[in-house]
Amino acid sequence: MKLLPINILLTLAICRLTSSETVGPTLMPLTSASALPTNSKRVHLTGKNKVENVELLNPANLSLECIWTGNQNKQPNITGFWRKGGEEIQDSRVPVAPENQQYRLQRVFNIVSEEHLGNYTCVFENEAELDFILAVPRIGEKREKPIVSYVGDFVVLTCKMEETKPVPRTWNWFKINGTDKEQLFEAQRYDITVIGHKTKLKVKDVSEADSGVYHCAAVYNISTSTSKLHLKVITIWEPLKPFLGILVEVVILVTVILIYERSHSKKKEAEANGLNADPKNTQPQGEDEEAEERTSVRQRKT
Amino acid sequence: MPPAPADVLGPKPVDGGWGWMVVLGAHISIGFAYSTPKALSIFFKPIKEDLGASYSEIAWISSIMLAVMYAGGPVSSVLVRRFGSRPVVMVGGLMCGVSMVTASFGSSIVYLYLCIGIIGGWGLCFNLNASLTIISKYFLAKRPLANGLAMAGSPVFLCFLAPVNQYLLGHFGWRGSLLILGGMMLNCCVAGAVMRPVARHSAPPKEVDQSNNTKSKGSLLKKAKTFVDLSSFKDPGFIIYLVGNVMFIFGAYAPIVFLSAYAVSRGVEEYSAAYLLSVMGFVDMFVRPLTGLVANSKWVRPRIQYLFSFAMVFNGTVHLLCPLMRTYPLLVAYAVFFGVGFGMVFALIFECLMDLMGNQRFPSAVGLVTIIECFPMLLGPPAAGLLVDIFDDYKYLFFMCGGVITTGGLFLFVMNVYNYNRLEKANRGRDTAQNHNTVENQEQASSSEAQVELMNTAQPEPEPEPTEETR
Repeated sequence: MKLLPINILLTLAICRLTSSETVGPTLMPLTSASALPTNSKRVHLTGKNKVENVELLNPANLSLECIWTGNQNKQPNITGFWRKGGEEIQDSRVPVAPENQQYRLQRVFNIVSEEHLGNYTCVFENEAELDFILAVPRIGEKREKPIVSYVGDFVVLTCKMEETKPVPRTWNWFKINGTDKEQLFEAQRYDITVIGHKTKLKVKDVSEADSGVYHCAAVYNISTSTSKLHLKVITIWEPLKPFLGILVEVVILVTVILIYERSHSKKKEAEANGLNADPKNTQPQGEDEEAEERTSVRQRKT
Repeated sequence: MPPAPADVLGPKPVDGGWGWMVVLGAHISIGFAYSTPKALSIFFKPIKEDLGASYSEIAWISSIMLAVMYAGGPVSSVLVRRFGSRPVVMVGGLMCGVSMVTASFGSSIVYLYLCIGIIGGWGLCFNLNASLTIISKYFLAKRPLANGLAMAGSPVFLCFLAPVNQYLLGHFGWRGSLLILGGMMLNCCVAGAVMRPVARHSAPPKEVDQSNNTKSKGSLLKKAKTFVDLSSFKDPGFIIYLVGNVMFIFGAYAPIVFLSAYAVSRGVEEYSAAYLLSVMGFVDMFVRPLTGLVANSKWVRPRIQYLFSFAMVFNGTVHLLCPLMRTYPLLVAYAVFFGVGFGMVFALIFECLMDLMGNQRFPSAVGLVTIIECFPMLLGPPAAGLLVDIFDDYKYLFFMCGGVITTGGLFLFVMNVYNYNRLEKANRGRDTAQNHNTVENQEQASSSEAQVELMNTAQPEPEPEPTEETR
């Protein structure tokens, strides 16, 4: 699936087959919206389904065009219509006849505000569908794991919009308290920095109350894109508990091993001294096994 | 000359019993040594965000740790020869623990370089060197197996540390995780505690080495020379081994570093690409002890250097074929074979050095080997990365690594044909001169004392020596 470059097309381009200019309730009269810039998107569809993501920053007149290559049943007349959010747009039904073995549906939509974003589908009845998902650029990096910080320390929360995507107009930070969303501003404990595609929220002298969910919002003219961050603040005692546990385990094991060894070697030495009256046996052998001692003694004798 | 080998080699290795506990200790110790620098990379992103450093600055932490771990070899050798393995490993474990705990309070990248990189690196260096040495003291007949089992610690601990680190990171952040990791590394002290000394080390080695020096308290320089023991370089077998190993290490790590990136460039999604490394590590875990077992068999053991060269050539060939692996199933197959080759080489890498140098010279030899291997280890991945940058294609990286490793393996194979012949001639010469002055012969023929002993064990000599009976 390749994104075609967006060309600037005059909305009053010639289109014999479609009459999408007939005004429906969601479509504003084109003449009054001529102050808005115009974008267009043309997508080819082979097969039954396709999904196309369309990123929008600013209000615009968006011309969406679907070109379907048809299938084995080369039907002479097909009905085409548009859906928004799953519901059929009124008065959007038109008959579509094949042109060079292609069926074409086109419509211009006036995208001004957040409600106009969403899922637009061009439907070739009972044959094929193409979804256009209109949205603001998404913040790609999803941080599923919580950011952990310690009481009294500072923490930096970062949100980044991909460099390839357009720069947001501005960034906002919010903290979620239950169902409330509280916006955070540059204050004593909060430092907000915005550098193009990145934004950083530095929370100083954190306490356990600062734990929770934070939202960073990339603001575009048409809408806002948000991402969640989870902050967890713990005391030093939390990691200290397992650490001390392991420390105790290590000390116990080392002590046990050394004590076992000492008692084991004392036993061996007592046995060796008892069995063999030869003074050479008491030469520094460390903790050798008995057989070894006798072996090496014999070797030294020869 | 039955008494001489005993004096030179020390008491007969146990080859079992408590030795297996020592292998367990070495397994833990070596496991931490090799897996910690790699497992730390999981913490890099949060550390980078908190301290505001660049990715390459953070990556230096691991590089410094690895570099110190290898470069500190000779110092570790000296300490092991002086004090024995146990105190060295326990101090090493303590240093590792301290390094991580202090690092958890860090607020600058240089502080982390010092704590994790330098102190941690030294701790790991002590662990590695001393663990290998004690295996050579405890095992002879079953030494390849013991080595294989001990070296398996590296993949086992990596498999274990990676998810544990992820879990710790999610619950405690990087600071708490480093604290707890430091605690876990203190278990190296436990590993050290099981490394019971085999015999007093201060007496025999000094007597042998200073047989040429009249005074026991020579000048400091003479003492240093005796301790560092550059005499390893006089051994052709050692030089051959060194050259082959340098070539191997140069090409060994780059494919690991770039495997995920290569897979992603071939259209594999990131999670599956990371999974390839897990596959390799998993296979590695089992291949190492298996290789040790194979190397221990009576057919392979006397010609173990050939198995080592074969393993290297195999590893190199796998890399050379990697650019042909264009689909995900083929890449998984590559990862499996990579794991096999890598595991085989690493199971044998120190066993072969022990085989060449024998019990007494191994500690110094391994120190020299690691400090020299420091350079190809640090230069390999960046050089490979440079190839990728210049040609914008990963295949040249695999060609280079595969080519270098295969050449190293072939070099080892050819040169070992020569070396084995040389040793056989020396052994024959030594046997006939047994009845004459043995002290002089010690120096010359000591190049494969272990081999001689082995051959005596494998094919009992007709001469009625008491040592043969007791064996």
